[in-house]
Amino acid sequence: MAKENVISEITGKVWKIEAEPGQKLAEEDAIIILESMKMEIPVLAPVGGVLTEILVKEGDSVSEGQVLAVMES
Amino acid sequence: MADYKTLVAEHERRKAHAMAMGGPAKLEKRKAAGLMDARQRIDYLFDPGSFIESGLFATSYIKEARENSQCDGKVAGFGRIEGRPAAVVSCDLTVKGASSSLINVKKMGHLRNTSIRNGNPIVFLNETSGARIPDTMGAEGTGSLGQDPAQFVRMREIPYVAACLGPSFGTGTWFTMLSDFVTMRKGACLAVSSPRVTSIAIGEEVDSEELGGWKLHTEVTGKVDYATDTDEEAIDLLKTFLSYLPSHHNQRPPSRPAPPDSEHDPEAILKIVPPERQKVYDVRKLVRAIADKDSLFEVKPRFGRSAMTGLARLGGQVVGFVASNPMFKAGALDPDGCDKVTSFLVLCDSFNIPIIILTDTPGFLIGIEGERRKAPGKIMNFMSALQMCTVPRLSIVTRKSYGQAYLNMGGTRNSDDMGAWFTADVGFMDPTVGVNVVYGVTAENDPQKFLALKEEIERDSSAYDLGAIYSAQSIIDPRETRGWLIRMLEVHSRDREKGLSQRRLAGWPTTF
Repeated sequence: MAKENVISEITGKVWKIEAEPGQKLAEEDAIIILESMKMEIPVLAPVGGVLTEILVKEGDSVSEGQVLAVMES
Repeated sequence: MADYKTLVAEHERRKAHAMAMGGPAKLEKRKAAGLMDARQRIDYLFDPGSFIESGLFATSYIKEARENSQCDGKVAGFGRIEGRPAAVVSCDLTVKGASSSLINVKKMGHLRNTSIRNGNPIVFLNETSGARIPDTMGAEGTGSLGQDPAQFVRMREIPYVAACLGPSFGTGTWFTMLSDFVTMRKGACLAVSSPRVTSIAIGEEVDSEELGGWKLHTEVTGKVDYATDTDEEAIDLLKTFLSYLPSHHNQRPPSRPAPPDSEHDPEAILKIVPPERQKVYDVRKLVRAIADKDSLFEVKPRFGRSAMTGLARLGGQVVGFVASNPMFKAGALDPDGCDKVTSFLVLCDSFNIPIIILTDTPGFLIGIEGERRKAPGKIMNFMSALQMCTVPRLSIVTRKSYGQAYLNMGGTRNSDDMGAWFTADVGFMDPTVGVNVVYGVTAENDPQKFLALKEEIERDSSAYDLGAIYSAQSIIDPRETRGWLIRMLEVHSRDREKGLSQRRLAGWPTTF
């Protein structure tokens, strides 16, 4: 099992959390939805695997490159 | 004088010795590790029975090393891929680590120059330890290199493709960098020098994946288009790429009849693209719904994903799709996205492939990180490349296109014909942001005034406003997109030039 960080590719605000720790995800499943550039931008699972941790909550500001969640693949 | 029987026997002995590569022990070891050898890779690449070898009897130029330098570590020759001629240089790691030397560089030069003169693609199957030691040591060794002053020049007369199938350093890396399309087997390492040499030089341990692994090259450098689990997949993808390209620059790309069920359900498009502008979608679904069935072949799919670039067919004809992808970074083009689009425009223009641009972008991604990564320069490289293209360029604004990004994505005269879906919104920036920038009013501090001003800004930014000043030549129903594009490709046939580009981008660098 390899640890895989889920990284924000954009600066914005956490609008919605779409998945919970323990959940099994396919590559490109949405984990979090950010609000940025006046758009609702999904943060997608970089690999297929299990979501182990979510490090942000709704309303948080996040920056580009920030680790938002952790997965195991 | 020996008789013919003896001469034939000697010839056959020498042939068998050369064909045996680095010997059964080394070949067995590769087989056990699930790796193909240099000759199996060639057999897998070419149509059965089409391979004719060049340089079977070439060896090291050092006489004492002749016996154990079969083919001088690089097996080369000509063959056919799906009936079309191509050349190959396949590294044989079992012979002197497939290291580059005087003779095999000469061999590669002959293959390259013959391919360019006659007009067929060249395929590099790379797995090489770098320059050969001791051959390249000292002034005499190093000074013997570089006999061909055009060795590293790309004028894109023919396609170059490369698969990185193991360690790849030195010459193997250079020709990968010079290629138009690259695949890599996971576990391979593509770098200037090997992890060992690098460790010695900088005095610290270097991890092979970190130095030149598939993730680095598919996601960060953008040089590798696809990473695969096996040699076979890596070679298959090279063949797929070549199936979209002409054999040389004086040819149009090979068209093939559209599959009969390519006339998609036009309503599908309305289901893919949400009318609400803040909602995202994956533009690849839209492209698949427009192009001939199953014809989309993305290039650099893991790199600069706010832009999508891919080869496809429309009514049987090969085209290159460039699209902002709202799924990633809201489709705001970042420096990587710009690099990706620029290199794709260069590829299409150099090989006579018409370009289709689909735009739905809030603009270029702005911010300190972008500036540090040279966003303004990247935006202008993209713009210059687009304006120098002489293949047909068709663009469609689907939902929104703002500011300079409007021009980069083919706005007004930056494409040969421009369409806008009736949903298009075009202006200097997103109206919601625009109200704040122009009037200093936000939705929070004065909601009523904000709404009034937003409406005022939005009023003049519709598709019909763009159509009224004839900056968009057609305002179209999204469901008509495929038909409009196919007809416009006929209109912009470039028949006077027989569909060939003027190739003003042919010498543009192959990396960024």
